[in-house]
Amino acid sequence: MIDLPVAWANYISMGIFIFLGGLVWIVPKKAILAGQPETDRWRDLRIWAMVLIGLQLTIYWIFS
Amino acid sequence: MHPLDLAVIISYLALITFVGIKLSSKVKNAHDFFLAGRSLTWWVIGLSIIGTNIDTNSYVGASGNAYNVGIAQANFEWIGAIPAMIIASLIFIPLYWRAGVYSIPEYLGLRYNQGVRVVAALIASVFAVFALGVAMWALALTLETYLGWPIWVGILVSGTVVGLYSIAGGLAAVAITDSIQVSIMFLCGIIIVGIGISDAGGFSAFATTLTQDNPTHLQAYLPADDEGFPWPGVILGLGFVLSPAYWIGSQAILQRTLGARTQWDASASMMFAALAKTFIPLLVVFPGILALVMKADIDYPDMALPWVIKNVLPPGISGLMFVAIIAALQSSIDSGVNSTSLMITRDIRHVLMKNHNPANDLKVGRYLTLILLLSSMCIAPFIGDLGGIFTFLQTILSLFQGPMLALLLLGAMTQRATPMAGLWTLVTGVLVSAILLIMLEWNLLYVAFVSFCYSMVTLWTVSGFTEKLSDEKLATLTYRPWSRT
Repeated sequence: MIDLPVAWANYISMGIFIFLGGLVWIVPKKAILAGQPETDRWRDLRIWAMVLIGLQLTIYWIFS
Repeated sequence: MHPLDLAVIISYLALITFVGIKLSSKVKNAHDFFLAGRSLTWWVIGLSIIGTNIDTNSYVGASGNAYNVGIAQANFEWIGAIPAMIIASLIFIPLYWRAGVYSIPEYLGLRYNQGVRVVAALIASVFAVFALGVAMWALALTLETYLGWPIWVGILVSGTVVGLYSIAGGLAAVAITDSIQVSIMFLCGIIIVGIGISDAGGFSAFATTLTQDNPTHLQAYLPADDEGFPWPGVILGLGFVLSPAYWIGSQAILQRTLGARTQWDASASMMFAALAKTFIPLLVVFPGILALVMKADIDYPDMALPWVIKNVLPPGISGLMFVAIIAALQSSIDSGVNSTSLMITRDIRHVLMKNHNPANDLKVGRYLTLILLLSSMCIAPFIGDLGGIFTFLQTILSLFQGPMLALLLLGAMTQRATPMAGLWTLVTGVLVSAILLIMLEWNLLYVAFVSFCYSMVTLWTVSGFTEKLSDEKLATLTYRPWSRT
């Protein structure tokens, strides 16, 4: 692993974020909304997490 | 100093003090003082989390490091924070909030036993007193550098301002003043980026100038054989252990989420903080890189930020940037005194003093806040001489990170972890860390990862043949969203 080129660190980071992006959707919507109205789609924090993960993927792609 | 800068600084100090004291009328009991009466909204908490997280080291130290290593410094804000913050937001914060606890040691006490609770609170409290002294010293040093105030005047003024609003208004005052302070920090960060890139002739010209002499400064990672930040160590140690241990276990960070008005607000606050955290490098990393691009004439890297403030920013804005640095320090101090006061009041006093009166929690909490503040003011002038002790305490604290993370992870995510296994893992995990760090002299990042792996295996194994908590208790203390849907 130590012999891998530095660029692999970026690929591993991006892999971690993609894996996390998948895990986020395992959490049930009801557990996230916790009593908030289900019609307010913006309150679904899984979508917030996707925005964050998208930003991180862009960052590690740019600075690779 | 330009009169406009001075006017900005005085206006800021007056505003913060006024807001803090104004909120004091809402504090009627310990629940209001320590958890803001569970009234905080997500965006206030989110900004407050960032205010607590950014300290002098972030501002001056990170800019200095960025001057040396470039964008790799930003890993502390990205891979070293965001994954853990997302997990904290979706899993741990809802769990803590529903459990109705005041602190993370209190959760550990309920999930494992009171011994674990006291040890966790004690270590965090002792470290906090010295960390507060360092922060107070840095604040006074900043005031001396920019305003020419003697150190003791800086300590006295800073301590008085922070004391006024944090003792009177408790967590609500701390969180709301933090959110004002972070807004100022971001405003200044955006201005520095705008002026810096404009002066360099646009982003392309900026990047070209930077990479001409420093080809690796726009690379996110440094080679595996780098002494300070080897990339495997950054991903495994920082990303997998130190960062989760901080974002799911730090009382100063998580206390404001426990003061949220709803469980959703608590979770959303951390997600919002993560969004803000993504852009923190603009505040703390960019100035260091800018100083390099502008070929700053500085003696050592930590002078990068002061150079940028003095040479790049116009009058008024440089005063505002100075305010941002004071704000970063103040928000760390106010959060530190409030959370430490809570841990001593409840996690140590409630357990060790069997005849305590919970009705006195507010009074005790306020006295402790004052004592902690005065202690940090007394320690601050001698912090240079105490540097060895502080480094020693930092080392001691780092020994607990791996085992503590294992306790929180398996404690929250499984029903398997038992009280006896928790105590056993904490004690032996710290020993393993100490051997690796002190006797074998491993890099701290690798120590964190190995001690965490050891603790996970030990906790899992020992739990197999020791008695677990009742199903009734485990129902509220473990994460089981599927059973509620």
